[in-house]
Amino acid sequence: MEARIGTRNTKSMIFKGVIMFFAFLITVPLIIILLYIIKQGVGQVNWHFLTHVPAPVGEVGGGIINALAGSFIMVLIASIISIPVGMLAGIYLSENPNTKLAHYSGLCVDILQGVPSIVVGIVVYFWLVKPLGTFSAISGSIALAIMMLPIVIRSTEQTLKLLPDSLKEAALSLGVPYHRVILKVIIPCGFSGILSGIMLSIARVIGETAPLLFTAFGNPYLSGAINKPMESLPHLIFTYATSPYDDWHNLAWGASFILLMFVLILNIVTKVITRKWKIQL
Amino acid sequence: MENTIVKAENYNSYFGDNHVVKDVNISINKNEVIAVMGPSGCGKTTFLRGINRMHELIPGATSTGKILLDGENVYDMNAIYVRCKIGMVFQRPNPFPNMSIYENVVAGYLLNGLKISKAEKDVIVEKSLTSAALWKEVKDSLHKKGTFLSGGQQQRLCIARAIAMEPELILFDEPTSALDPISTSSVEALFHELKANYTLIIVTHNMQQAARVSDRTAFFYLGELVEFDDTKQMFTNPKDTRTQNYITGRFS
Amino acid sequence: MTPLENEIAALKKELVNMWILVQSQLNKAKEAMVQFDKDLAREVLVKEKRVNSFELKIDMDCENIFALHCPVAVDLRFLLAALKINTNLERIGDIAAGIALYVVESAVNFDMDALEKTSLIRMYDEAVNILMDTRTAFEKEDTVLARSIFKRDDVLDDINDNAPGIVAEIIKADLNILPEALYMLSIIRKLERVGDQSKNIAEEIIFYVEAKILKHYESSQKNKSEDEE
Repeated sequence: MEARIGTRNTKSMIFKGVIMFFAFLITVPLIIILLYIIKQGVGQVNWHFLTHVPAPVGEVGGGIINALAGSFIMVLIASIISIPVGMLAGIYLSENPNTKLAHYSGLCVDILQGVPSIVVGIVVYFWLVKPLGTFSAISGSIALAIMMLPIVIRSTEQTLKLLPDSLKEAALSLGVPYHRVILKVIIPCGFSGILSGIMLSIARVIGETAPLLFTAFGNPYLSGAINKPMESLPHLIFTYATSPYDDWHNLAWGASFILLMFVLILNIVTKVITRKWKIQL
Repeated sequence: MENTIVKAENYNSYFGDNHVVKDVNISINKNEVIAVMGPSGCGKTTFLRGINRMHELIPGATSTGKILLDGENVYDMNAIYVRCKIGMVFQRPNPFPNMSIYENVVAGYLLNGLKISKAEKDVIVEKSLTSAALWKEVKDSLHKKGTFLSGGQQQRLCIARAIAMEPELILFDEPTSALDPISTSSVEALFHELKANYTLIIVTHNMQQAARVSDRTAFFYLGELVEFDDTKQMFTNPKDTRTQNYITGRFS
Repeated sequence: MTPLENEIAALKKELVNMWILVQSQLNKAKEAMVQFDKDLAREVLVKEKRVNSFELKIDMDCENIFALHCPVAVDLRFLLAALKINTNLERIGDIAAGIALYVVESAVNFDMDALEKTSLIRMYDEAVNILMDTRTAFEKEDTVLARSIFKRDDVLDDINDNAPGIVAEIIKADLNILPEALYMLSIIRKLERVGDQSKNIAEEIIFYVEAKILKHYESSQKNKSEDEE
């Protein structure tokens, strides 16, 4: 018996060691990616890089202002479309979890989350780009909005479901009408959770290339017209990294670095916000 | 009686097909403290929530019969109006976590979008917190979040929030079951003071609490109102054997 | 003050009121005896009903407090003591009424000389004083004063022990005085009971304030050693 206890102890020690090793292992890829991109990209970044459009082949310099502005505009429009829709749908799902509608729309949200981004892109291409006859920023935004929706819906729903019913009852018992209960009590109380869901969804779509390939396409010039093609960071990286020119490769590295930093900062800010604004229940 | 504030006439409540409150007739006078006691699932909370029409918010919940507030059937009134006139305090203290103590007290006005001046708000806050025996403890931290208070203080804050709306009647749904003994007695002491200006209906699991705080006690069993009498009478010489068995702990 | 404290304060006040009434009953009975005032004696008999209703009221109050507040510790002891003090006071009330009844029934007034010889007046005054001091002890929760009652009861006991001999002599001297003398002996017996009731009350006061049980203490101690207080 004692011998067996010894074996058991050894086994559990080994098991502990293995899981620790893998827990450590998953940090390795991120560290390698970060280091590599910083090494390649940080040198490219300067004021000129951030404020100029890409230079034609053979010219020195050039920047990514067109992609920065494009990504910003498209994500902004996507957010304007998806956040209200997603939040309202999320509220319905959390408020009426046992209805048929909630069951089926919840299912749809799950499936939508699993739809490959390239498929979203191609669908929007056939819906919008073809009928309109041109690639446009707005169709890119819509594709991104479709990608954001499930994340916003689910995070809203999960956050609101965690709020105790007593909160709603407290407001209702004061004679507050239902819509005011939702807008003035439920949403403010779940705000940090909803906000972090929104930030994560932005971080997720800002790096999406596939839905933009067929929709916003790309534009080597700075453009603010949403009915015209528009450049975006991931698309710029895609185009310039696959080109045969070293100058352009450097441009892609720099853009990658900027994109990565952006996503990193968004994630960190989200964590800080959730911690700071976390409402004590 | 003209002194009657709430009267239930043949009141029944259902959850779907489940008949939880059976044909209750009761008449409650102004400035009385009424305790409603009974074993779990006897329909006492459901009855209470029927009075301010919170019961109907639960999917599948229905009710029949009348509940008269000052002679007017609450089921003929606008539910929102009814809930403004009848305050409610819940089992767990539930101050709004996104609001300060000050805002919590005037939450009824803020959330209903009623425009009142800062000066009016100040008056309401001080008056309500004083009535809830909380003013002295929180007057220097009115702009802190309500959730930083202790359980008993939070519950008194919730009472202040209900008082601020100047209701005629305040319903308490097991108001001290989530509180420790010290907080419980602070809330119980408050009941005696509130009696002067309000009518209180208190649902409680705790028989001793019913005995300590109420003027009259209602005993519910299996959805029926078994006995409703003077608390002294109820605890010294109950008329119904079921009441006797319950208060002596002899229920098998 | 908690509701229970309020109830207990009210009950205490009620008991003190009853006490004052019982004291005045005793005093009036004495006055009636000395002055041979039959009207005053009848008044005592009528007022006995008020003592009884006090007793019922206090009993009911105690019952309600027990039922509604479930008192513990000092509150519980107070209520238990209050119940017993209530009974003791009512008995003293009965005694006052009994004395008054003798005055009403007696054909002739009591002989002052005989009253003097039997120390009846002195005994009566002492009994009334003991009852008053017991009340003070109760109101002030003064256990030292309460303890002093035990000793003072001995004086009453002494007079009571000597009474049969003295009364016998009075009767021997003048046979005509026989009915009065017997009344006097009965009154002495009754006053001795007042002393005992006061002693019981003093014991209850000590029980309620100090949680010490002195009942039957003396008799059990006497068996062990003689010099115990």
